[in-house]
Amino acid sequence: MMFDENAGGGGRGPSHAEALNVLARAEPAGLKALAEQLLERLGDIEVLGNRTGLVMVPMRDTVENVDFHLGEVLVSEAHITDAVGAIGYGMITGRDLERAMAMAVVDLALATDIGAAEIETLLTTERRRLAAIDEDRMRRVEATRVEMETF
Amino acid sequence: MAYVATRGGERAIDQAERLFREDLGTIDAERVETIRTAMPYLVDRVMGEASFYSEELAALALAQTGGELSEAVLVLRAWRTTQPRIGIAATVQQEQLLTQRRISAAFKDIPGGQILGPTLDYSHRVLATDVLEGTPFVPPAVEPADTAAPAQQPSLAAWQRQLGLVAPLPEAAAAGAEIPDLTREPLLFPASRAHRLQSLARAETGGVLALGYAAMRGYGNAHPTVNELRLAEAEVMVRHPSGTPFSAGRIRVSQAEVTAKREYLDLGFAATFGWNEIKVIASATLDLNSAAAPVGSPVHEEFYLYHTESVEASGFCIHFKLPHYVTFQSALDAMRDAKAKKQTAAANLVAEREEEPVA
Repeated sequence: MMFDENAGGGGRGPSHAEALNVLARAEPAGLKALAEQLLERLGDIEVLGNRTGLVMVPMRDTVENVDFHLGEVLVSEAHITDAVGAIGYGMITGRDLERAMAMAVVDLALATDIGAAEIETLLTTERRRLAAIDEDRMRRVEATRVEMETF
Repeated sequence: MAYVATRGGERAIDQAERLFREDLGTIDAERVETIRTAMPYLVDRVMGEASFYSEELAALALAQTGGELSEAVLVLRAWRTTQPRIGIAATVQQEQLLTQRRISAAFKDIPGGQILGPTLDYSHRVLATDVLEGTPFVPPAVEPADTAAPAQQPSLAAWQRQLGLVAPLPEAAAAGAEIPDLTREPLLFPASRAHRLQSLARAETGGVLALGYAAMRGYGNAHPTVNELRLAEAEVMVRHPSGTPFSAGRIRVSQAEVTAKREYLDLGFAATFGWNEIKVIASATLDLNSAAAPVGSPVHEEFYLYHTESVEASGFCIHFKLPHYVTFQSALDAMRDAKAKKQTAAANLVAEREEEPVA
């Protein structure tokens, strides 16, 4: 599969997007442990793909409004399906294939409404952890703001 | 140029590589992790020049090449070719960056304010030699502000356009798979802007600094002022098979706009993977100078793009170490021949003079 993010498309809504955002940056041990639990309840799963690869990242030039390629990012991807054709998908930056697979398993569980409570617990915990990291970092960044005085 | 096949060096070659690697010792995951965490700016530089973002693999490349940067970039680019391209992410846009450093040298009061972020710009450059005497250097802690800095900062150029200081923005050009890609097609001149900026993004830092510095010192046609410099993190926005867009993670990026005053404020632009502000300022200076650059000058795009491509430049440089025996022997023969002819001509001249009758 080759995707072009710029081509647009539908999707399963903002809550799905938000869940994927959190799962992609979730603490690996907790994510993998949850995936192990969910696997037992998901039944037979077919792995459509589990590989490392490259995602090209374009950037927009602020001078002439031209998109150009900044470079490629190493990612790990996992793509799975269950017996009825529901899809689970994970993609993370880096080369941890297990983490990508764990994300795909949790995504499949989300799609089939299995383990919703456990998943929500993980998402809530990770949402708070990630927000706290950003909050802490950006408070430190704010400390470097220049308070300009004109004289 | 000619080459000659030689034999007899196989053992020497094998032992030479062994000697290089033996000098570096055992490389384990701990060493790689130490490099990744202790030298993020070096890792950033290598990722930028390799045009390949993986902090872990960049640290490994540095470990196994002993920090020989050209080799580290080469081995990373080589590894990259083993990987399939899975997709193209959404275009990173300036106003969406999680910005951690954002300054302007051209305007004091800018929308969003000036945020210094992590920098040594205003520090005393003093080596902490006490560390070597057994006293660890413990950095003083940052005193965090009560509130967090805004995650995103507005575009300075957009504000300048509203004031009529910068030329209006043209319509957006190609996106996604339509963007010209240097890794799939050759660099031709005049280069498309997409090729120029991609080439600068993967250029060798020292190379663009040298040529950008030449422009700054007067060998260009525009003297730069930093309009805006950003160090930030960008989301890698990909798409789930169902179509849901999401971020697969964050990457560090740098971007710079430099300006010179003409009819409008002319702007030059550059960006790269990782936090490497010297590279983007120098690159943006080259971009700024390109428009009116005479062919053959250091600020003409053909000159600076060809000569700052890290792997090609270092590869061409080190190839001169390889046997050139035939070429060199040929030059030596020509030199001896010329010398012999010159000596013969001189001897003939003396003989002719000796034979001339004395008046």
